[in-house]
Amino acid sequence: MSVLNKTAAVIVTFNRSGKLMAVLDALAAQTMRPDIVLVVDNASTDDTAALVQARADADPTIRHLRLPANVGGAGGFHAGIKAAYQMGAQYFWVSDDDAYPRPDALQSLHRALTSFQADNGWRPSFACSRVEWIDGSLCEMNCPRTVWDWARFVRPGSAWALVDSASFVSVMIPRWAVSEHGLPIADYFIWFDDAEYTRRIARSYPGIFVPESVVVHDTPDNRGVNFGLVDDKSLWKFKYGARNETSWRRREMGLMGVLAYAYGVRGQMRRGDVPSSLRRQIYGAIIKGLGFRPAIERV
Amino acid sequence: MSDLASHTPADPALVAHLTAGIAEARSIYELLFPTQQLFFVLSQGNNPIWAAPEVIEGPHNPRPQDLGADYLGTLTRPGAYDGAPQVTIRLAIPRLPLPGEIKQIDSPWRPMRGLGALFRASPLWYEQVRYGAEMARKRQADRRTDQTAMPLGDGSALLPAPVAPDSDKRPAILIGMHWLEMGGAEKLGFDTMRWALAAGLRVFVVASVPAVQRLADKLPDHPDLTFIRLDRYLPHHLWPRYVQRLAMAENIRAVHIHHCTPLYESLTMLRMHMPWVQTIDSTHIVEHANGGYPRISGVWSNYLDMQHVISGELVRYFRDRFHAPAGKVVLGRMLDRKNNDALPPLRLQAGQKTLHACFIGRLFYQKRPVVVVEALRALNAWAGRNGVTLTATIVGEGPYDGTLTRLLRKHGLSSKVDLLPGNTDIPALLERSDILLLPSNNEGLALVCYEAVAHGCIPISTRVGSQDEVLPDGLLVPLAPRAAVAGTVAAVDAMWRDAGTLARHKDALQAAWTRLTADPTAEEVLMPVYRRLAQRDAA
Repeated sequence: MSVLNKTAAVIVTFNRSGKLMAVLDALAAQTMRPDIVLVVDNASTDDTAALVQARADADPTIRHLRLPANVGGAGGFHAGIKAAYQMGAQYFWVSDDDAYPRPDALQSLHRALTSFQADNGWRPSFACSRVEWIDGSLCEMNCPRTVWDWARFVRPGSAWALVDSASFVSVMIPRWAVSEHGLPIADYFIWFDDAEYTRRIARSYPGIFVPESVVVHDTPDNRGVNFGLVDDKSLWKFKYGARNETSWRRREMGLMGVLAYAYGVRGQMRRGDVPSSLRRQIYGAIIKGLGFRPAIERV
Repeated sequence: MSDLASHTPADPALVAHLTAGIAEARSIYELLFPTQQLFFVLSQGNNPIWAAPEVIEGPHNPRPQDLGADYLGTLTRPGAYDGAPQVTIRLAIPRLPLPGEIKQIDSPWRPMRGLGALFRASPLWYEQVRYGAEMARKRQADRRTDQTAMPLGDGSALLPAPVAPDSDKRPAILIGMHWLEMGGAEKLGFDTMRWALAAGLRVFVVASVPAVQRLADKLPDHPDLTFIRLDRYLPHHLWPRYVQRLAMAENIRAVHIHHCTPLYESLTMLRMHMPWVQTIDSTHIVEHANGGYPRISGVWSNYLDMQHVISGELVRYFRDRFHAPAGKVVLGRMLDRKNNDALPPLRLQAGQKTLHACFIGRLFYQKRPVVVVEALRALNAWAGRNGVTLTATIVGEGPYDGTLTRLLRKHGLSSKVDLLPGNTDIPALLERSDILLLPSNNEGLALVCYEAVAHGCIPISTRVGSQDEVLPDGLLVPLAPRAAVAGTVAAVDAMWRDAGTLARHKDALQAAWTRLTADPTAEEVLMPVYRRLAQRDAA
């Protein structure tokens, strides 16, 4: 809970200028507008730079942080939160370039964060929105993970479940959490950076799921993260995911945690009839993850 | 367009908290610097207990760190005259403590680095190693620490001595606490507040250690009592100047120190500028590592008018080490005359088929909670061999909470040992307990032993501090952890097996109780001082 409410929106984008403009429109229409809209541009090669610059000329809250190379979503969120922290933001609203917040989405997250602490004494490490797909159904890949006593403070009018893991699609993080736990791991490049980060900051206290804050995630299809869905096209992402989660499990749970993870991945791939050549590559990524120990950068 | 987030109104409760904190801090500095021009540079802190104060006397050029992300703004208090010196005070107003911090702010205890495997293999051997290190420090303490009372000159008649100014305010006392948390010294501190109020003094309370001050809401609810949050807002090096200002402004006639280091450091200021202020301290435990507060008190003994102690051991300590003159060191037991009626019968009977043991204390290393569990484990084995049903209760909170739970589970004692919080009804527990375990690393004279005996429960304690003043030899066990565990079982076994031994211990406890109650109590030695102070101006 802060008396200072300066809020920065951190949007990481890569070659999706059309969707990004829709996100900026949605942010401009917020009932509580962010003081800073930081567009972290992963060296897009389309017209992103020009469009963002044109917007920034008309709207002083928009800042264009163009990175020299594509460092992936993880690198982008790392750089964006770091820059917003240096700009003095007290809250960081973090999201993808294809997620459109409803007009009261940010205000609901902010209100939930402050009200939760005022009512219950504890300060949540983050607040995340209900992420819907374009047809209004729950977006499968953005469903937060609850803790065992998730219902502890759920009451009519403030039905905020405790969660310890969320995706970087409309999640609001208070400054103290970044001060205490550092930045997302840039070296992950893509996948699991959000899960690692929210689980890390949730060690202080879990986050809260705020269902009245809604964003629409405009993805091509509505699929969760399941290794049974690995195909040639998505293999590269799954490999990053397997390496990163293995690295995290090695750090947090030791070898037994990695073995349990590998067993689970094996089961998903078997049930999904994933071709053996792809399976081998996923196992290779898991083995790679055993020796992958990226540093956590503090602010 | 809608408002930006930074223009959103803050939560009113938070605003009230910050406003109150700013007012507390202002009042401290406005008293300390009555004529200077004050600039308060305020920020929102992320620490629940400490405002990280920085005081810059003289002109100050603002720096970027004055205007960080948590910057709230500035306040100016004009000087009393044109050209008054400037003082800049940077403060980060502490945030409200979280529920977990109110319960326990210390991190969970962990074994020392490199000794984790030893602890997992044998907690008792781990304790034994730590005990060895502690004793090595104790042997070195006498060589390393100052054990001489600092000289105090009386001044000469050549120069006029300061005299107390007239004041239109009723006499007051400044009571300095270590902190407002659970503990024997703190209990005495709270008692002295009540006694001072009863004597007619106005009472100002300060604490030296930044903390949540959990017992602040237990301070006497009295219009004459003021708790000043120096612990949050004032660096220790400024305490002497503040104490002098407060004493002048509020007609403070005495300072009573309860383990409050910066008040000892204020004694020079008081002796030089305000020699009429009576200085008193109360001490409890000689620490192994450095002598603790009794040693500090001994070093300052010439600056103190009265050194109140709670045990005969401390009387001898001051007399033998610091050559304190007769009459300055005053014994006042932490006993309440109201409870000094005849002792109830001590409950334990030889050959009884059930045994309830209890432990009551903060779960910090000093109380050695790991040794408590190991003693319970050994007692459980003893009970099994002798057909006795053992149950136990552990009361307390602290960094050892988690360790204790895990150890009890590991030893299969979870179903036999209840873990209860610090606010448990202690008299009721003692009235259903046969023995009290107290395997402390150090004690002055543990109050809980008095309480146990007064409720019919037999204490078994390590031979530390002045425990031998309340317990007979047969109920005192060695300090070394393994020997303490073995000694505890042996003591219980001897009383359970032999009715004669049990009767001798009961008689010895009765005799010790009679001896102790013949000594004056803390209230009896301090109240006359307080009354004299209160009546001096009234006369």
